[in-house]
Amino acid sequence: MAFNPPKFVQSLLESCSPNPAKAGKTLLVINALGMVFAALSNTYAAAVDKNTSAKDKKFLVPAGFVTGAANIGLYYAMTTKIIDALQGKTTVKDGKEMVKVGLADKVLEYMGKNYDKDGKTLLQAAQEKFVDKEILKAGKVSEELKQDAKILLKKDNVITDEAKELFKKSFKSGFGVAGAFIGAVVGCAILTPIIRDVSAYFVQKRLEKNNPEMKDKPYKPYFEPTRIESVRYNRRPLTLKGYMAFTNKGNMKV
Amino acid sequence: MRLNSIQQQQRQNFKGNPVNWIANTVAKHPMIPIGLAGSSVVAQKIVMSGSEAVVGPVMDVGIGEVITKVTKEEDGRTRDSSKVQAIRTFSQSVGGTIVGVIIRMICIGAATALCMKAGQKVGGAFADIIQKNTNNASLENKYLYKKDMETWGKNIGGAVATLVMLGTNFIIDAPFINWINKKATDIVDNKILKNKKDDVETKEKEVK
Repeated sequence: MAFNPPKFVQSLLESCSPNPAKAGKTLLVINALGMVFAALSNTYAAAVDKNTSAKDKKFLVPAGFVTGAANIGLYYAMTTKIIDALQGKTTVKDGKEMVKVGLADKVLEYMGKNYDKDGKTLLQAAQEKFVDKEILKAGKVSEELKQDAKILLKKDNVITDEAKELFKKSFKSGFGVAGAFIGAVVGCAILTPIIRDVSAYFVQKRLEKNNPEMKDKPYKPYFEPTRIESVRYNRRPLTLKGYMAFTNKGNMKV
Repeated sequence: MRLNSIQQQQRQNFKGNPVNWIANTVAKHPMIPIGLAGSSVVAQKIVMSGSEAVVGPVMDVGIGEVITKVTKEEDGRTRDSSKVQAIRTFSQSVGGTIVGVIIRMICIGAATALCMKAGQKVGGAFADIIQKNTNNASLENKYLYKKDMETWGKNIGGAVATLVMLGTNFIIDAPFINWINKKATDIVDNKILKNKKDDVETKEKEVK
C-alpha cells in the first residue's frame, strides 16, 4: 500500500517530528500559535461587541492587533534566545557550520571531567542511570519492548554508542524544554500583564477623550461597600467598559 | 604549597561562577533534564498558568498602582480597575488551566493512539517517513519506534488541541471562567465589606 501524504501534511509532520534538538522549539511554536489564536478571537469578540460604537471599534480593533502582536513577538523573540543560550545552536551559513555552545554543552563537558565517589566520571554514572531507567520504563509496557531496549542500549553489559548518543540528545532536549518553560513563565506572568495593563490604560484614556460623557458619569469605586449592593446587576466598573471587550468578552486563553 | 594555593584558587573560582554552580547541581541530578525532555504541552500549560495565577494578580495590582502614581490620577480609576483585572486574571488562569489540560490530554491521547494504529496498518511506509525525519526508528526496532510515536503524539496532539480550544473556549471556558470570577469577586467583596463594616463600627464607638 503506497503512502504518500500531501506536501502540507509532510511539512506539518516535519515540524512535529520527534527531533530532540527541536523539543523546546516545538513547545514554543505550539504555545505561540495558541497565543495568536487567543489574540485573534479576543479582537474578534471586540469587533462584534454590541455595546461599543462603530467609531470606537475603529480604534479598538487595531489596538487589539497591535497589543497581541507586541505580546507574542516579544515572547517569541525572548524565548528563542533563552532556548539557544541553554541548549546551544548549530546553524549552516554558506556551507559552513556555525556552532554556538550552550549551557547544556558546558554541563556535559563538566560531567566528563569530574569524578564521583566510585571513580567513574559523572557522565558515565549519568549514562548508566539513564539506560537503567529506560529499560525499566520499556519493561512496564511489555517484555518485548524491554528486550528491544536492552539490545539497543547495552551490549555485554556495556553501554553502546547509540545509548550514549541518545542520552546526549535527551539531555540537551531537556535544556531546551527548560528554556521554553522559563520563557513561558516570564512571558505569561510578567510580560503579558505589563503589556495588557499599560495598553488598557491608554485605550481607556483615548476612549474617554472621544466620549466625554464616559468621564462625566458619576463614578463610584468598585470596592466601596455602599456600592456593592447596587453593583450586583452590573459588575463591570465604569473604567474598564471600553477595554472590557478585549479582556473579558472573549475569555480567550488558548 | 603552591599546588595548594592553585587548588584553593580553583575552588574559589568555582564558587564564584554561576555556570559552574549550575553545572555542578545538574551533574548531581542528571535525570532532571532527561525527565524534562519528555514533557509535553500539558506540563507547559500547568507551569505557565500556575505561575500566572500566582504572579499575575500581584502584577496587575502593582501596575495599576504605578500608573496611578505616575499619571497622578486623583479619582483612582486605574487602581480600582486593576483590582478587578487581578481577580479576572486569577480566574482566567485557573479556569483556563483546568479546561486546557483536560482537552490537551484527550487530544494527545487520541493522536498517539492514531499514530500507533496508522503505523501498524501502513507498516514500513509510515516508518520510512519517520526515518527520513528523525532517528532510525522503524517498526523492527519496537523500542525506538514507540519512543518516537509518543513524541509524535505529543506534538501533533498539542497542535490539534490548540485548534480544538478555539471552539471549546466559547462553549466551555467562557461560562466556567465567568463562574469562577463571580465566586472570587464575591469572596473579595465580602472580605472587604466585613473589614469596612468593622472599621465603621469601631469609629462610631470611638465617637460615642
